[in-house]
Amino acid sequence: MTIWWRRHRNWLTPALLLAPGLFLFLVVIIWSSLETFWISFFDWDGMGVKTWVGLANYRELLDDPQFYVSLKNNLIWLLMFLLAPPAGLAIAFLVNQKIAGMRVMKSLFFMPLVLATVTVGVIFTWFYDPTFGLLALLFRAFGAEAPALLSNEHLVTFAVVASALWPQIAFCMVLFLAGLNNLDEELIGAGRVDGARGLAMLWHVVLPQLTQVAFIAVAITIVGALRSFDAISVMTAGGPFGSSTTLAYQMYEQSLFSYRFGYGAAIATILFLIMAVFIAWYLRGLIRAEKGA
Amino acid sequence: MNSVELIGLDKHYGQYHALKSLDLTIEKGEFIVMVGPSGCGKSTLLKTIAGLETVDTGKITIGGKDVTRAEPGDRGIAMVFQSYALYPHMTVAENMGFGLRMARRPKAEIDVAVRRAADILRITEQLDKLPKQLSGGQRQRVAIGRAITRSPDVFLFDEPLSNLDAALRTQMRVELSTLHAELGSTMIYVTHDQVEAMTMASRIVVLNKGAIEQVGSPLALYANPVNRFVAGFLGAPRMNFIEGTTTEVGTDDALVQLAGLAPLRIALRQGATVKTGDPVTVGIRPEAFAVGGSKPASCPARVRLVENLGRETVVYADASPLVTSGSDTGTRNVTIQLGSAVAVAPNSEITIGFDPADAYLFGSDGATLTPAKPEIQSR
Amino acid sequence: MYPRAIPENRPLSRFAYGLLVALVLALWLLPLFAVIMTSFRSFDDVMAGNYWGWPSKIQVFENYAAVFQQSKMLDYFLNSLIITIPSTIAVLVLSTMTGFVLSRYPFPGAMVIFALFVGGNFLPQQIMMIPIRDLMVATGLYDTFWALILFHVAFQTGFATLFMRNFIAALPSELFQAARAEGASPWQTLIHIVAPLVRPALAALAILVFTFIWNDYFWAVVLTQSDAVKPVTAGLSNLRGEWVSQWNIVSAATILVAVPPVLMFFLMQKHFISGLTMGAVKG
Repeated sequence: MTIWWRRHRNWLTPALLLAPGLFLFLVVIIWSSLETFWISFFDWDGMGVKTWVGLANYRELLDDPQFYVSLKNNLIWLLMFLLAPPAGLAIAFLVNQKIAGMRVMKSLFFMPLVLATVTVGVIFTWFYDPTFGLLALLFRAFGAEAPALLSNEHLVTFAVVASALWPQIAFCMVLFLAGLNNLDEELIGAGRVDGARGLAMLWHVVLPQLTQVAFIAVAITIVGALRSFDAISVMTAGGPFGSSTTLAYQMYEQSLFSYRFGYGAAIATILFLIMAVFIAWYLRGLIRAEKGA
Repeated sequence: MNSVELIGLDKHYGQYHALKSLDLTIEKGEFIVMVGPSGCGKSTLLKTIAGLETVDTGKITIGGKDVTRAEPGDRGIAMVFQSYALYPHMTVAENMGFGLRMARRPKAEIDVAVRRAADILRITEQLDKLPKQLSGGQRQRVAIGRAITRSPDVFLFDEPLSNLDAALRTQMRVELSTLHAELGSTMIYVTHDQVEAMTMASRIVVLNKGAIEQVGSPLALYANPVNRFVAGFLGAPRMNFIEGTTTEVGTDDALVQLAGLAPLRIALRQGATVKTGDPVTVGIRPEAFAVGGSKPASCPARVRLVENLGRETVVYADASPLVTSGSDTGTRNVTIQLGSAVAVAPNSEITIGFDPADAYLFGSDGATLTPAKPEIQSR
Repeated sequence: MYPRAIPENRPLSRFAYGLLVALVLALWLLPLFAVIMTSFRSFDDVMAGNYWGWPSKIQVFENYAAVFQQSKMLDYFLNSLIITIPSTIAVLVLSTMTGFVLSRYPFPGAMVIFALFVGGNFLPQQIMMIPIRDLMVATGLYDTFWALILFHVAFQTGFATLFMRNFIAALPSELFQAARAEGASPWQTLIHIVAPLVRPALAALAILVFTFIWNDYFWAVVLTQSDAVKPVTAGLSNLRGEWVSQWNIVSAATILVAVPPVLMFFLMQKHFISGLTMGAVKG
């Protein structure tokens, strides 16, 4: 036994070390994600028997106006969320000075990042309150009446995304601050000697050094936009009249409230296909960076 | 016309006094090398000339123009950085042309300038490559090429050869000297390598603790250091310093007592302030020592270590009670440099000696007390 | 440094700049600040619409006491701790092992496994919702602490593996060659070389994973039902329904939910930032 072990431990130990984490991740995360595809071909209430319906769920989805609302809202989330990287970069520039008190202020800027999305949702629900919210107060200061953002079906998604942007911007800011810390001092010096300043310096010397960080910020932002759920659930529950649902929220609602698990799975599959494009893009960048290093 | 003039430059980093009221005038076409131990302020000084660092007080003029508050790009300078600082996302040609592009020069003009610089440095083949595809030596050339492209009044070099291996460093040293001769531009070069300083400089500036210790031609500094710091900094192996006291001070010479030797009569320069009984330091260059009893001042010593370098031999000998202070080796041995391969056995007893006329005498404040020596010794 | 540092010899500019940043910060944190203020107010103020003025009566104690006594927030709070702490520890152990193997034992397929961990971690969690809920119901774990613990450990192991792999890969490889030359087995290497060296990474990771799990809301509503196991995020959402107009109480509860992660963040701030950037930037 011991001799056998000594001979094989150099590959067995790593295998045994890798096994529990990998097993758990494969079974719970990967297998479940794949199982979703399978379920999407059934009609299923979550408890009883599954009935094979082929592509019926997908066909129904294509005729479901709610699906297009969700899709459109996901697009709004995505486009608005992409404001987070530049906004985060701007704040990172703002606080990247060595001045007394700047360290404390930096950490306070990070604050929204550690708050739960539920917390953020509650804070903003109340911020948007048409009678008592800060927004109402601001409007009144200009003699106007505040719109009831969360009960206006045209504005609701924008209002929800704006609240979710808050921690997302903080996150991007942290990433960019780290990137700014790693800027090559001599390269900036070379840029200054070459007469680059202001925007030219930013564009030709600083940003090229931040591409790696920016790539990650954008990737994480896209994922965040596509998996948007908590804020909607807390602030609007998809309303008013289903006008603020996203794919993630719609599938949750279809499954857990309407007991249409097969239909929910079909929505999840569509979400996955959209996501797969971005994951593939991210992994390609990751592996390329790995090989380059 | 003066090319660069520094007047009363003063700079602090918080409490740290980085530059102490520095004055320096550099003529057009000079090759100035600034040397000093790390932390002496040489890089800071170069960066203030470049405009990458600001000064608290003082004035900098380049080509007669006051540029103290000017942006680096407006000073008529170009700089070669230690890490080369090539823009990693630009090709060699784009790197070299970037300064002119920022100055909004027409594209044709930039192309001509880049091509000319590339020809000088023989990197025309590399123009379309990215920096990461180049070797260290090629990157170095591109960095220099980028400086040439801008045709500046003044070139600034910040330890540009320190990342190269020994062979390449020698090659680049020669090329830089050639380049200086070709272009005739003013060059200011910072290094900690005294070989670079001695071989390339028209004048060396020795810095210590934010102040200039001495400025002069390499040979002048070597033959006539103004103080113990400069004497110890230039020359490898380092000068031997032996502590002693004056037993008698005359008008133009003094008797100095060193442990283990008969009193030495050493000449004094005019106006040297030294009294009888003062502690002094005698400095003797390793090459001024000889083995055998041929020199006037000699004593027995035991050989501790022999470094046979082929064309020269360095002997470290224990001559106690004659001991040195502040030597490179961290021991109190005497360092002797002999001009050829010499058979000296470790642990053997030898006699070492020197001529008091070759010795330097430094006062307790470090200032040189001996009169000027000829820069080139006739042998 | 970019933007250019404001020179130290211009104290006035520096002060003015600091003031500008403070102003932006005040705007940035305005919503949070308002919630904190409201958690100090009396219900009369809330009814009178005095949200933004000075409170007529400061009742910090009463509001927070009400949250503890008249709602189940304290129970939810404990539930969250019961779920979060063991999950975090399990994730740290598992990911140290997987990260060690993936960074130091190149084998065919290692890159695929690594990509699986990273890619899986990027999936919108809703995709796996139905089968996981089904799995938990089938195993009888649904609506128990185990359901949330099991899921969080599995999911966070993906991110944590990426993180630990990058950290261990950045350790000098000579170290591992030396250990091998001295006859250390992989297990001994893990215990005597890796474990002591990854402590800073583990500290950073612990804070991140703790925050992620604590802040989770989606799985809290998907995998739990009863108050006995509900974590604090789901509890807050419930509480908001119960105490509709009592914004002072809701605000106090909101602040309470935020306390542990914020506390973590400020106590281990250095680790938090370096952790986020190490996990993300190097990836």
